Amino acid sequence: SGELCCSLPNPKNVHFESINMKNVLHWSAPEGTGDGVLYKVKYLVYGAGKWIRKPECRNISRTWCDLSSETSDYEEQYYASVKAFLNGMCSDWMETTRFNPLTDTKIDPPTVSVSSTEKSISIILTAPEKWKRSPEGESVSLLQVYPGLQYNVSVLNKKTKKRWFFSISNNTLVVPWLEPGTAYCVSAQIHITTPLLHSGFSKEYCIATLNDKTA
Amino acid sequence: LTAGNKIFHFGPCRVSISMTEIRSGFTAIKDNIQARDPIRTLSILSYPHSLHKVKSSDRCCVTHHLFNFYMDKVFKHCKTEDSYINRKISSIANSFLSVKRKLEQCHEQNKCMCGQESTEKFKQILVNYEGLNVTSAAIKSLGELDILLDWM
Amino acid sequence: DALLPAPQNITILSTNMKHFLTWSPVIIQGETVRYSVEFQGEYEREYANESWIPICECSLITATVCNITEDISATVAYNLRVRANVGARRSEWGALKGFFNRITTSLTPPLMKVIADGYHLLVELEDMGPAFQFCVLYWKKGQESRMQQKVVKEVSSVVHLDTMEAGPDYCVKAQTYVEAINRSSSFSQTQCVRAQGGTSMWLV
Repeated sequence: SGELCCSLPNPKNVHFESINMKNVLHWSAPEGTGDGVLYKVKYLVYGAGKWIRKPECRNISRTWCDLSSETSDYEEQYYASVKAFLNGMCSDWMETTRFNPLTDTKIDPPTVSVSSTEKSISIILTAPEKWKRSPEGESVSLLQVYPGLQYNVSVLNKKTKKRWFFSISNNTLVVPWLEPGTAYCVSAQIHITTPLLHSGFSKEYCIATLNDKTA
Repeated sequence: LTAGNKIFHFGPCRVSISMTEIRSGFTAIKDNIQARDPIRTLSILSYPHSLHKVKSSDRCCVTHHLFNFYMDKVFKHCKTEDSYINRKISSIANSFLSVKRKLEQCHEQNKCMCGQESTEKFKQILVNYEGLNVTSAAIKSLGELDILLDWM
Repeated sequence: DALLPAPQNITILSTNMKHFLTWSPVIIQGETVRYSVEFQGEYEREYANESWIPICECSLITATVCNITEDISATVAYNLRVRANVGARRSEWGALKGFFNRITTSLTPPLMKVIADGYHLLVELEDMGPAFQFCVLYWKKGQESRMQQKVVKEVSSVVHLDTMEAGPDYCVKAQTYVEAINRSSSFSQTQCVRAQGGTSMWLV
Protein backbone atom coordinates (compact mmCIF):
# COMPACT_ATOMS: atom_id res chain seq x y z
CA SER A 1 0.00 0.00 0.00
CA GLY A 2 1.25 3.51 -0.69
CA GLU A 3 3.00 5.20 2.18
CA LEU A 4 0.87 7.65 4.16
CA CYS A 5 2.19 11.01 5.29
CA CYS A 6 4.47 10.42 8.20
CA SER A 7 3.73 13.26 10.60
CA LEU A 8 2.59 11.13 13.54
CA PRO A 9 4.93 11.24 16.56
CA ASN A 10 7.17 8.18 16.79
CA PRO A 11 6.73 5.19 19.07
CA LYS A 12 9.23 5.49 21.92
CA ASN A 13 11.66 3.26 23.73
CA VAL A 14 11.56 0.45 21.17
CA HIS A 15 13.53 -2.40 22.78
CA PHE A 16 13.73 -6.14 23.31
CA GLU A 17 12.80 -7.65 26.66
CA SER A 18 14.33 -11.10 26.80
CA ILE A 19 14.11 -13.75 29.50
CA ASN A 20 15.64 -17.19 28.86
CA MET A 21 15.71 -16.16 25.19
CA LYS A 22 12.00 -15.49 24.99
CA ASN A 23 12.52 -12.30 23.02
CA VAL A 24 9.62 -9.83 23.04
CA LEU A 25 9.71 -6.45 21.36
CA HIS A 26 8.24 -3.66 23.48
CA TRP A 27 7.60 0.03 22.87
CA SER A 28 5.67 2.98 24.24
CA ALA A 29 2.86 4.75 22.39
CA PRO A 30 3.73 8.00 20.60
CA GLU A 31 3.26 11.09 22.72
CA GLY A 32 -0.15 12.73 22.75
CA THR A 33 -1.90 10.24 20.45
CA GLY A 34 -4.49 8.74 22.82
CA ASP A 35 -6.42 5.64 21.69
CA GLY A 36 -6.78 4.19 18.25
CA VAL A 37 -3.09 4.01 17.32
CA LEU A 38 -2.16 0.89 15.39
CA TYR A 39 1.29 -0.49 14.80
CA LYS A 40 3.21 -2.74 12.45
CA VAL A 41 6.50 -4.48 13.10
CA LYS A 42 9.42 -5.68 11.02
CA TYR A 43 12.70 -7.31 11.96
CA LEU A 44 16.05 -8.08 10.39
CA VAL A 45 18.88 -10.52 10.95
CA TYR A 46 21.93 -8.30 11.22
CA GLY A 47 24.06 -8.59 8.10
CA ALA A 48 21.29 -10.35 6.13
CA GLY A 49 19.81 -8.67 3.13
CA LYS A 50 16.32 -7.51 4.06
CA TRP A 51 13.77 -6.47 6.61
CA ILE A 52 10.98 -8.95 7.15
CA ARG A 53 7.45 -7.98 8.18
CA LYS A 54 5.82 -9.81 11.10
CA PRO A 55 2.26 -10.59 9.92
CA GLU A 56 0.94 -11.39 13.42
CA CYS A 57 1.98 -7.91 14.52
CA ARG A 58 0.37 -5.97 11.66
CA ASN A 59 -2.28 -3.36 12.56
CA ILE A 60 -2.09 -4.24 16.25
CA SER A 61 -3.05 -1.86 19.04
CA ARG A 62 -0.95 -3.51 21.78
CA THR A 63 2.58 -2.23 22.35
CA TRP A 64 4.48 -5.50 22.27
CA CYS A 65 5.22 -8.24 19.76
CA ASP A 66 6.70 -11.65 20.46
CA LEU A 67 9.64 -12.20 18.09
CA SER A 68 11.05 -15.23 19.93
CA SER A 69 10.55 -17.49 16.96
CA GLU A 70 12.19 -15.09 14.55
CA THR A 71 15.16 -14.48 16.84
CA SER A 72 15.70 -17.99 18.16
CA ASP A 73 19.10 -18.51 16.52
CA TYR A 74 21.36 -17.09 19.19
CA GLU A 75 24.36 -17.20 16.91
CA GLU A 76 22.83 -14.29 15.03
CA GLN A 77 22.06 -10.72 16.02
CA TYR A 78 18.92 -8.76 15.19
CA TYR A 79 17.21 -5.42 14.78
CA ALA A 80 13.46 -4.80 15.04
CA SER A 81 11.45 -1.75 14.09
CA VAL A 82 7.96 -0.35 14.76
CA LYS A 83 5.76 2.12 12.84
CA ALA A 84 2.59 3.75 14.20
CA PHE A 85 -0.59 4.66 12.30
CA LEU A 86 -3.57 6.88 13.24
CA ASN A 87 -6.24 8.54 11.12
CA GLY A 88 -4.31 8.28 7.87
CA MET A 89 -1.09 9.50 9.41
CA CYS A 90 1.95 7.46 10.31
CA SER A 91 5.21 7.75 12.18
CA ASP A 92 8.76 6.92 11.12
CA TRP A 93 10.09 3.43 11.59
CA MET A 94 11.68 3.35 15.03
CA GLU A 95 14.42 0.76 15.56
CA THR A 96 15.91 -1.13 18.50
CA THR A 97 19.62 -1.18 19.20
CA ARG A 98 21.34 -4.30 17.90
CA PHE A 99 20.00 -7.26 19.87
CA ASN A 100 22.33 -10.17 20.75
CA PRO A 101 20.22 -12.94 22.33
CA LEU A 102 23.30 -14.61 23.84
CA THR A 103 24.43 -11.59 25.85
CA ASP A 104 21.26 -9.52 26.13
CA THR A 105 18.88 -12.11 27.59
CA LYS A 106 18.06 -12.25 31.29
CA ILE A 107 18.37 -15.57 33.05
CA ASP A 108 15.76 -16.89 35.47
CA PRO A 109 16.99 -18.41 38.74
CA PRO A 110 17.28 -22.21 38.81
CA THR A 111 14.49 -24.29 40.31
CA VAL A 112 15.50 -25.78 43.64
CA SER A 113 14.29 -29.05 45.16
CA VAL A 114 15.37 -29.96 48.65
CA SER A 115 15.06 -33.12 50.72
CA SER A 116 16.39 -33.90 54.13
CA THR A 117 17.47 -36.68 56.42
CA GLU A 118 18.25 -36.43 60.11
CA LYS A 119 21.57 -34.70 59.61
CA SER A 120 21.76 -33.58 56.02
CA ILE A 121 19.93 -31.82 53.27
CA SER A 122 20.17 -32.66 49.58
CA ILE A 123 19.70 -29.98 46.97
CA ILE A 124 18.97 -30.52 43.28
CA LEU A 125 19.12 -27.54 40.97
CA THR A 126 17.64 -27.28 37.50
CA ALA A 127 18.67 -24.57 35.09
CA PRO A 128 15.82 -22.94 33.16
CA GLU A 129 15.11 -24.02 29.62
CA LYS A 130 15.64 -21.88 26.57
CA TRP A 131 12.35 -20.57 25.15
CA LYS A 132 10.82 -23.04 22.72
CA ARG A 133 8.18 -22.67 20.02
CA SER A 134 5.73 -25.14 21.54
CA PRO A 135 5.46 -27.29 24.65
CA GLU A 136 6.10 -30.33 22.46
CA GLY A 137 9.19 -28.74 21.02
CA GLU A 138 12.64 -30.00 21.90
CA SER A 139 13.79 -28.78 25.31
CA VAL A 140 17.16 -27.06 25.37
CA SER A 141 18.60 -26.30 28.80
CA LEU A 142 20.50 -23.05 29.21
CA LEU A 143 23.30 -25.30 30.39
CA GLN A 144 23.75 -26.31 26.75
CA VAL A 145 23.71 -22.69 25.60
CA TYR A 146 26.20 -21.56 28.27
CA PRO A 147 28.65 -24.40 28.95
CA GLY A 148 30.38 -22.37 31.72
CA LEU A 149 27.16 -22.14 33.75
CA GLN A 150 27.62 -22.50 37.52
CA TYR A 151 25.40 -22.21 40.59
CA ASN A 152 25.86 -20.14 43.74
CA VAL A 153 23.86 -21.73 46.58
CA SER A 154 22.97 -20.05 49.84
CA VAL A 155 22.00 -22.17 52.88
CA LEU A 156 20.49 -20.35 55.87
CA ASN A 157 20.26 -21.99 59.30
CA LYS A 158 16.99 -20.55 60.59
CA LYS A 159 17.96 -21.22 64.21
CA THR A 160 21.39 -19.58 64.23
CA LYS A 161 20.54 -17.18 61.37
CA LYS A 162 23.91 -18.04 59.82
CA ARG A 163 24.11 -18.19 56.03
CA TRP A 164 26.68 -20.22 54.09
CA PHE A 165 27.53 -19.96 50.38
CA PHE A 166 28.53 -22.77 48.06
CA SER A 167 29.69 -22.43 44.46
CA ILE A 168 29.13 -25.58 42.40
CA SER A 169 29.37 -26.59 38.77
CA ASN A 170 27.21 -29.70 38.85
CA ASN A 171 23.56 -29.43 39.84
CA THR A 172 23.49 -31.41 43.09
CA LEU A 173 24.74 -30.53 46.54
CA VAL A 174 24.55 -32.52 49.78
CA VAL A 175 25.22 -30.66 53.02
CA PRO A 176 25.97 -33.26 55.71
CA TRP A 177 26.56 -32.98 59.46
CA LEU A 178 23.68 -30.62 60.14
CA GLU A 179 21.73 -30.23 63.36
CA PRO A 180 18.72 -32.50 63.64
CA GLY A 181 15.30 -30.90 63.93
CA THR A 182 16.50 -27.63 62.45
CA ALA A 183 15.01 -25.59 59.61
CA TYR A 184 17.29 -24.69 56.72
CA CYS A 185 16.35 -22.37 53.85
CA VAL A 186 18.04 -22.75 50.47
CA SER A 187 18.16 -20.36 47.52
CA ALA A 188 20.30 -20.49 44.41
CA GLN A 189 21.56 -18.28 41.62
CA ILE A 190 22.97 -19.00 38.16
CA HIS A 191 26.38 -17.52 37.33
CA ILE A 192 27.89 -17.51 33.82
CA THR A 193 31.42 -16.20 33.25
CA THR A 194 31.53 -15.98 29.42
CA PRO A 195 29.61 -13.86 28.64
CA LEU A 196 29.26 -12.43 32.13
CA LEU A 197 25.63 -13.08 33.13
CA HIS A 198 23.87 -14.04 36.33
CA SER A 199 20.31 -14.64 37.46
CA GLY A 200 18.82 -13.31 40.63
CA PHE A 201 18.61 -15.66 43.61
CA SER A 202 15.63 -17.97 43.61
CA LYS A 203 13.05 -17.70 46.33
CA GLU A 204 13.93 -19.62 49.49
CA TYR A 205 12.97 -23.27 49.82
CA CYS A 206 12.90 -24.26 53.47
CA ILE A 207 13.07 -27.74 54.95
CA ALA A 208 13.76 -29.14 58.41
CA THR A 209 16.20 -31.93 59.20
CA LEU A 210 14.43 -34.83 60.88
CA ASN A 211 14.40 -35.05 64.64
CA ASP A 212 17.17 -37.08 66.27
CA LYS A 213 15.52 -40.48 67.01
CA THR A 214 18.13 -41.35 69.69
CA ALA A 215 17.55 -38.11 71.63
CA LEU B 1 39.32 -22.72 33.94
CA THR B 2 38.73 -19.66 35.99
CA ALA B 3 36.25 -16.84 35.72
CA GLY B 4 36.85 -14.99 32.45
CA ASN B 5 40.23 -16.61 31.95
CA LYS B 6 39.75 -19.29 29.33
CA ILE B 7 42.16 -21.88 28.05
CA PHE B 8 41.40 -21.79 24.35
CA HIS B 9 42.02 -25.08 22.60
CA PHE B 10 42.68 -24.46 18.93
CA GLY B 11 43.78 -27.96 18.08
CA PRO B 12 47.41 -28.24 19.29
CA CYS B 13 47.47 -24.54 20.15
CA ARG B 14 46.49 -23.93 23.77
CA VAL B 15 46.28 -20.26 24.75
CA SER B 16 45.21 -18.86 28.11
CA ILE B 17 43.31 -15.67 27.38
CA SER B 18 41.62 -13.35 29.86
CA MET B 19 38.50 -12.27 28.01
CA THR B 20 36.78 -10.49 30.88
CA GLU B 21 38.38 -7.12 30.29
CA ILE B 22 37.92 -7.24 26.53
CA ARG B 23 34.25 -8.10 26.98
CA SER B 24 33.62 -5.47 29.64
CA GLY B 25 35.45 -2.89 27.54
CA PHE B 26 33.28 -3.73 24.53
CA THR B 27 30.05 -3.81 26.55
CA ALA B 28 30.83 -0.27 27.71
CA ILE B 29 30.97 1.07 24.12
CA LYS B 30 28.76 -1.38 22.21
CA ASP B 31 25.60 0.74 21.87
CA ASN B 32 27.62 3.89 21.06
CA ILE B 33 29.73 2.23 18.37
CA GLN B 34 26.89 0.20 16.82
CA ALA B 35 24.76 3.38 16.67
CA ARG B 36 27.48 4.90 14.45
CA ASP B 37 26.99 2.05 11.94
CA PRO B 38 23.83 2.75 9.91
CA ILE B 39 24.22 -0.28 7.61
CA ARG B 40 22.03 -3.04 9.02
CA THR B 41 22.04 -5.34 6.04
CA LEU B 42 25.79 -5.92 5.76
CA SER B 43 28.18 -7.69 8.09
CA ILE B 44 31.97 -7.79 7.89
CA LEU B 45 32.48 -10.97 9.94
CA SER B 46 29.23 -12.86 9.24
CA TYR B 47 28.69 -12.40 5.51
CA PRO B 48 27.93 -14.62 3.70
CA HIS B 49 28.58 -17.25 6.33
CA SER B 50 28.68 -17.02 10.09
CA LEU B 51 31.98 -17.65 11.86
CA HIS B 52 30.18 -20.59 13.43
CA LYS B 53 30.49 -22.39 10.09
CA VAL B 54 34.32 -22.44 10.36
CA LYS B 55 35.65 -25.97 10.88
CA SER B 56 37.30 -26.49 14.27
CA SER B 57 40.60 -27.34 12.60
CA ASP B 58 40.63 -23.88 11.05
CA ARG B 59 39.62 -21.97 14.17
CA CYS B 60 43.12 -21.11 15.29
CA CYS B 61 44.13 -19.67 11.94
CA VAL B 62 40.92 -17.64 11.58
CA THR B 63 41.31 -16.33 15.14
CA HIS B 64 44.93 -15.39 14.50
CA HIS B 65 44.01 -13.65 11.25
CA LEU B 66 41.14 -11.79 12.92
CA PHE B 67 43.29 -10.50 15.80
CA ASN B 68 45.79 -9.18 13.26
CA PHE B 69 42.90 -7.71 11.25
CA TYR B 70 41.62 -5.78 14.26
CA MET B 71 45.14 -4.57 15.15
CA ASP B 72 46.10 -3.53 11.63
CA LYS B 73 42.85 -2.34 10.10
CA VAL B 74 40.23 -1.61 12.73
CA PHE B 75 41.25 0.06 16.00
CA LYS B 76 43.38 2.78 14.42
CA HIS B 77 40.47 3.98 12.28
CA CYS B 78 37.99 4.18 15.14
CA LYS B 79 39.08 7.43 16.78
CA THR B 80 35.97 9.31 17.96
CA GLU B 81 35.23 12.74 19.40
CA ASP B 82 34.43 11.07 22.73
CA SER B 83 37.46 10.63 24.99
CA TYR B 84 35.72 7.97 27.08
CA ILE B 85 35.11 5.87 23.96
CA ASN B 86 38.70 6.43 22.82
CA ARG B 87 40.05 5.24 26.17
CA LYS B 88 37.93 2.10 26.05
CA ILE B 89 39.09 1.40 22.48
CA SER B 90 42.68 1.80 23.68
CA SER B 91 41.97 -0.65 26.48
CA ILE B 92 40.53 -3.23 24.08
CA ALA B 93 43.34 -2.70 21.57
CA ASN B 94 46.06 -3.17 24.17
CA SER B 95 44.32 -6.31 25.46
CA PHE B 96 44.10 -7.57 21.87
CA LEU B 97 47.82 -6.95 21.51
CA SER B 98 48.71 -9.23 24.40
CA VAL B 99 46.39 -11.96 23.05
CA LYS B 100 47.82 -11.55 19.56
CA ARG B 101 51.30 -12.19 20.99
CA LYS B 102 50.16 -15.50 22.44
CA LEU B 103 48.53 -16.57 19.20
CA GLU B 104 51.71 -15.62 17.36
CA GLN B 105 53.67 -18.07 19.48
CA CYS B 106 51.33 -20.85 18.33
CA HIS B 107 51.69 -19.68 14.75
CA GLU B 108 55.47 -19.70 14.96
CA GLN B 109 55.36 -23.22 16.42
CA ASN B 110 53.23 -24.33 13.46
CA LYS B 111 50.33 -25.10 15.77
CA CYS B 112 47.99 -22.72 14.00
CA MET B 113 47.79 -24.07 10.49
CA CYS B 114 45.79 -22.31 7.81
CA GLY B 115 43.62 -24.54 5.65
CA GLN B 116 41.92 -23.65 2.43
CA GLU B 117 38.66 -22.83 4.16
CA SER B 118 40.11 -20.41 6.69
CA THR B 119 42.06 -18.62 3.97
CA GLU B 120 38.84 -18.27 1.96
CA LYS B 121 36.90 -17.10 4.99
CA PHE B 122 39.46 -14.45 5.84
CA LYS B 123 39.63 -13.29 2.19
CA GLN B 124 35.84 -12.81 2.31
CA ILE B 125 36.16 -10.72 5.47
CA LEU B 126 38.70 -8.46 3.74
CA VAL B 127 36.38 -8.16 0.72
CA ASN B 128 33.52 -7.16 3.03
CA TYR B 129 35.83 -4.67 4.77
CA GLU B 130 37.11 -3.14 1.53
CA GLY B 131 33.55 -2.81 0.25
CA LEU B 132 33.08 0.17 2.56
CA ASN B 133 35.10 3.31 3.17
CA VAL B 134 37.79 2.83 5.80
CA THR B 135 36.08 4.58 8.71
CA SER B 136 32.70 2.92 8.13
CA ALA B 137 34.36 -0.48 7.73
CA ALA B 138 36.43 0.01 10.90
CA ILE B 139 33.47 1.20 12.99
CA LYS B 140 31.33 -1.69 11.67
CA SER B 141 34.08 -4.19 12.48
CA LEU B 142 34.48 -2.78 15.98
CA GLY B 143 30.71 -2.99 16.45
CA GLU B 144 30.91 -6.68 15.52
CA LEU B 145 33.53 -7.51 18.17
CA ASP B 146 30.95 -9.47 20.17
CA ILE B 147 30.38 -11.70 17.14
CA LEU B 148 34.08 -12.64 17.39
CA LEU B 149 34.03 -12.95 21.20
CA ASP B 150 30.84 -15.07 21.21
CA TRP B 151 32.33 -17.31 18.53
CA MET B 152 35.59 -17.75 20.41
CA ASP C 1 56.98 34.41 31.09
CA ALA C 2 59.54 32.03 32.54
CA LEU C 3 58.99 28.49 31.26
CA LEU C 4 56.99 26.43 33.74
CA PRO C 5 59.15 23.60 35.15
CA ALA C 6 57.98 20.08 34.30
CA PRO C 7 56.77 17.89 37.17
CA GLN C 8 59.51 15.71 38.71
CA ASN C 9 59.77 12.49 40.72
CA ILE C 10 57.01 10.85 38.70
CA THR C 11 56.36 7.40 40.11
CA ILE C 12 53.76 4.66 40.15
CA LEU C 13 52.23 3.17 43.28
CA SER C 14 50.58 -0.12 42.36
CA THR C 15 49.08 -2.48 44.88
CA ASN C 16 46.47 -5.18 44.30
CA MET C 17 45.79 -4.02 40.75
CA LYS C 18 45.10 -0.43 41.81
CA HIS C 19 47.56 1.87 40.08
CA PHE C 20 48.32 5.48 41.01
CA LEU C 21 50.64 7.94 39.32
CA THR C 22 52.25 10.47 41.69
CA TRP C 23 54.66 13.37 41.24
CA SER C 24 56.23 16.23 43.17
CA PRO C 25 54.33 19.52 43.14
CA VAL C 26 55.56 22.38 40.97
CA ILE C 27 55.76 25.44 43.23
CA ILE C 28 55.07 28.88 41.67
CA GLN C 29 54.62 31.64 44.21
CA GLY C 30 51.14 33.09 44.23
CA GLU C 31 49.89 30.74 41.53
CA THR C 32 47.69 27.65 41.48
CA VAL C 33 49.42 25.00 39.47
CA ARG C 34 47.28 22.41 37.73
CA TYR C 35 48.35 19.13 36.16
CA SER C 36 47.25 16.96 33.23
CA VAL C 37 48.08 13.30 32.74
CA GLU C 38 48.28 11.20 29.56
CA PHE C 39 49.02 7.53 28.88
CA GLN C 40 50.29 5.52 25.93
CA GLY C 41 49.93 1.77 25.64
CA GLU C 42 52.00 -0.59 23.54
CA TYR C 43 49.23 -0.55 20.96
CA GLU C 44 49.53 3.25 20.61
CA ARG C 45 53.29 2.97 20.21
CA GLU C 46 53.24 0.19 17.64
CA TYR C 47 50.01 0.79 15.70
CA ALA C 48 48.79 4.34 16.32
CA ASN C 49 51.72 6.63 15.58
CA GLU C 50 52.84 6.77 19.20
CA SER C 51 49.71 8.71 20.09
CA TRP C 52 48.94 9.71 23.69
CA ILE C 53 45.56 9.52 25.34
CA PRO C 54 44.47 12.08 27.96
CA ILE C 55 42.90 10.90 31.21
CA CYS C 56 40.06 13.34 31.63
CA GLU C 57 39.64 12.62 35.37
CA CYS C 58 43.20 13.93 35.73
CA SER C 59 42.95 16.91 33.44
CA LEU C 60 43.85 20.30 35.05
CA ILE C 61 43.78 18.87 38.57
CA THR C 62 45.54 20.43 41.54
CA ALA C 63 46.28 17.11 43.22
CA THR C 64 49.65 15.45 42.58
CA VAL C 65 48.21 11.95 42.26
CA CYS C 66 46.08 10.34 39.57
CA ASN C 67 44.22 7.00 39.69
CA ILE C 68 45.14 5.37 36.40
CA THR C 69 43.64 1.96 37.21
CA GLU C 70 40.80 2.25 34.71
CA ASP C 71 43.18 2.96 31.84
CA ILE C 72 45.89 0.42 32.66
CA SER C 73 43.54 -2.35 31.62
CA ALA C 74 45.84 -4.62 29.61
CA THR C 75 48.97 -6.53 30.53
CA VAL C 76 51.27 -4.55 28.26
CA ALA C 77 53.90 -1.84 28.82
CA TYR C 78 52.50 1.66 29.31
CA ASN C 79 54.15 5.07 29.16
CA LEU C 80 52.80 7.85 31.36
CA ARG C 81 53.45 11.59 31.43
CA VAL C 82 52.36 14.69 33.39
CA ARG C 83 52.42 18.38 32.52
CA ALA C 84 51.97 21.48 34.71
CA ASN C 85 49.62 24.31 33.76
CA VAL C 86 49.26 27.84 35.14
CA GLY C 87 46.59 29.70 33.23
CA ALA C 88 47.63 29.47 29.58
CA ARG C 89 51.22 28.58 30.47
CA ARG C 90 52.25 24.96 30.17
CA SER C 91 55.38 23.06 31.15
CA GLU C 92 57.12 20.41 29.14
CA TRP C 93 55.88 16.88 29.76
CA GLY C 94 57.45 15.08 32.66
CA ALA C 95 57.56 11.37 31.82
CA LEU C 96 57.65 8.28 34.02
CA LYS C 97 61.07 6.75 33.80
CA GLY C 98 60.65 3.46 31.99
CA PHE C 99 57.44 1.62 31.27
CA PHE C 100 54.79 0.45 33.67
CA ASN C 101 53.25 -3.01 33.25
CA ARG C 102 50.56 -4.03 35.71
CA ILE C 103 52.18 -7.43 35.97
CA THR C 104 54.47 -5.76 38.51
CA THR C 105 51.67 -4.78 40.87
CA SER C 106 52.31 -5.92 44.43
CA LEU C 107 49.78 -8.46 45.68
CA THR C 108 49.05 -8.67 49.39
CA PRO C 109 47.65 -11.74 51.12
CA PRO C 110 43.86 -11.56 51.61
CA LEU C 111 42.17 -10.71 54.89
CA MET C 112 40.55 -13.93 55.99
CA LYS C 113 38.43 -15.15 58.89
CA VAL C 114 37.98 -18.88 59.47
CA ILE C 115 34.80 -20.03 61.19
CA ALA C 116 33.77 -23.40 62.62
CA ASP C 117 29.98 -23.61 62.66
CA GLY C 118 29.10 -26.97 64.15
CA TYR C 119 30.93 -29.52 61.97
CA HIS C 120 31.28 -27.10 59.11
CA LEU C 121 34.49 -25.30 58.13
CA LEU C 122 33.79 -21.87 56.62
CA VAL C 123 35.85 -18.90 55.51
CA GLU C 124 35.07 -15.23 55.16
CA LEU C 125 37.23 -13.39 52.60
CA GLU C 126 37.74 -9.73 51.85
CA ASP C 127 36.18 -8.55 48.59
CA MET C 128 39.12 -7.20 46.58
CA GLY C 129 37.30 -6.52 43.33
CA PRO C 130 36.39 -8.47 40.18
CA ALA C 131 39.99 -9.10 39.12
CA PHE C 132 40.62 -11.27 42.19
CA GLN C 133 40.01 -14.90 42.97
CA PHE C 134 41.16 -16.82 46.02
CA CYS C 135 42.96 -20.09 46.43
CA VAL C 136 42.06 -21.48 49.86
CA LEU C 137 44.08 -24.38 51.31
CA TYR C 138 42.83 -26.37 54.31
CA TRP C 139 44.06 -29.43 56.13
CA LYS C 140 43.85 -31.38 59.37
CA LYS C 141 46.57 -30.15 61.69
CA GLY C 142 49.52 -32.49 61.42
CA GLN C 143 48.43 -33.80 58.04
CA GLU C 144 49.95 -31.04 55.92
CA SER C 145 50.64 -33.59 53.19
CA ARG C 146 46.88 -34.05 52.66
CA MET C 147 46.13 -30.41 52.00
CA GLN C 148 42.93 -29.67 50.09
CA GLN C 149 42.31 -26.68 47.83
CA LYS C 150 39.24 -24.65 46.93
CA VAL C 151 39.19 -21.82 44.36
CA VAL C 152 36.75 -19.10 45.32
CA LYS C 153 35.87 -16.98 42.30
CA GLU C 154 33.27 -14.77 43.81
CA VAL C 155 33.41 -13.49 47.31
CA SER C 156 29.95 -13.71 48.85
CA SER C 157 30.34 -13.46 52.62
CA VAL C 158 30.72 -16.86 54.26
CA VAL C 159 32.01 -19.57 51.91
CA HIS C 160 31.59 -23.21 52.87
CA LEU C 161 34.81 -25.19 52.61
CA ASP C 162 34.07 -28.61 54.02
CA THR C 163 32.71 -30.64 56.90
CA MET C 164 34.96 -31.49 59.84
CA GLU C 165 35.27 -34.48 62.09
CA ALA C 166 34.86 -33.77 65.77
CA GLY C 167 38.18 -33.55 67.60
CA PRO C 168 41.13 -32.57 65.36
CA ASP C 169 42.03 -28.96 64.54
CA TYR C 170 41.55 -27.80 61.00
CA CYS C 171 43.88 -25.15 59.57
CA VAL C 172 43.28 -22.77 56.69
CA LYS C 173 45.32 -20.29 54.69
CA ALA C 174 44.52 -18.34 51.51
CA GLN C 175 46.19 -16.43 48.71
CA THR C 176 44.77 -14.20 46.00
CA TYR C 177 45.07 -15.04 42.30
CA VAL C 178 44.78 -12.46 39.50
CA GLU C 179 44.12 -14.23 36.21
CA ALA C 180 44.74 -11.10 34.09
CA ILE C 181 48.40 -11.15 35.10
CA ASN C 182 48.53 -14.83 36.08
CA ARG C 183 50.08 -14.10 39.46
CA SER C 184 49.28 -14.94 43.07
CA SER C 185 49.92 -13.23 46.38
CA SER C 186 51.77 -14.86 49.24
CA PHE C 187 49.62 -16.85 51.67
CA SER C 188 47.77 -15.30 54.56
CA GLN C 189 48.50 -16.27 58.15
CA THR C 190 47.25 -19.77 58.94
CA GLN C 191 44.16 -19.91 61.13
CA CYS C 192 43.01 -23.11 62.91
CA VAL C 193 39.63 -24.03 64.32
CA ARG C 194 38.01 -27.11 65.70
CA ALA C 195 34.53 -28.53 65.31
CA GLN C 196 32.64 -28.74 68.57
CA GLY C 197 29.14 -30.09 68.58
CA GLY C 198 26.92 -27.21 67.62
CA THR C 199 29.06 -24.29 68.86
CA SER C 200 31.94 -22.44 67.22
CA MET C 201 35.42 -22.79 68.63
CA TRP C 202 38.40 -20.61 67.81
CA LEU C 203 41.98 -21.87 68.09
CA VAL C 204 44.67 -19.67 66.68
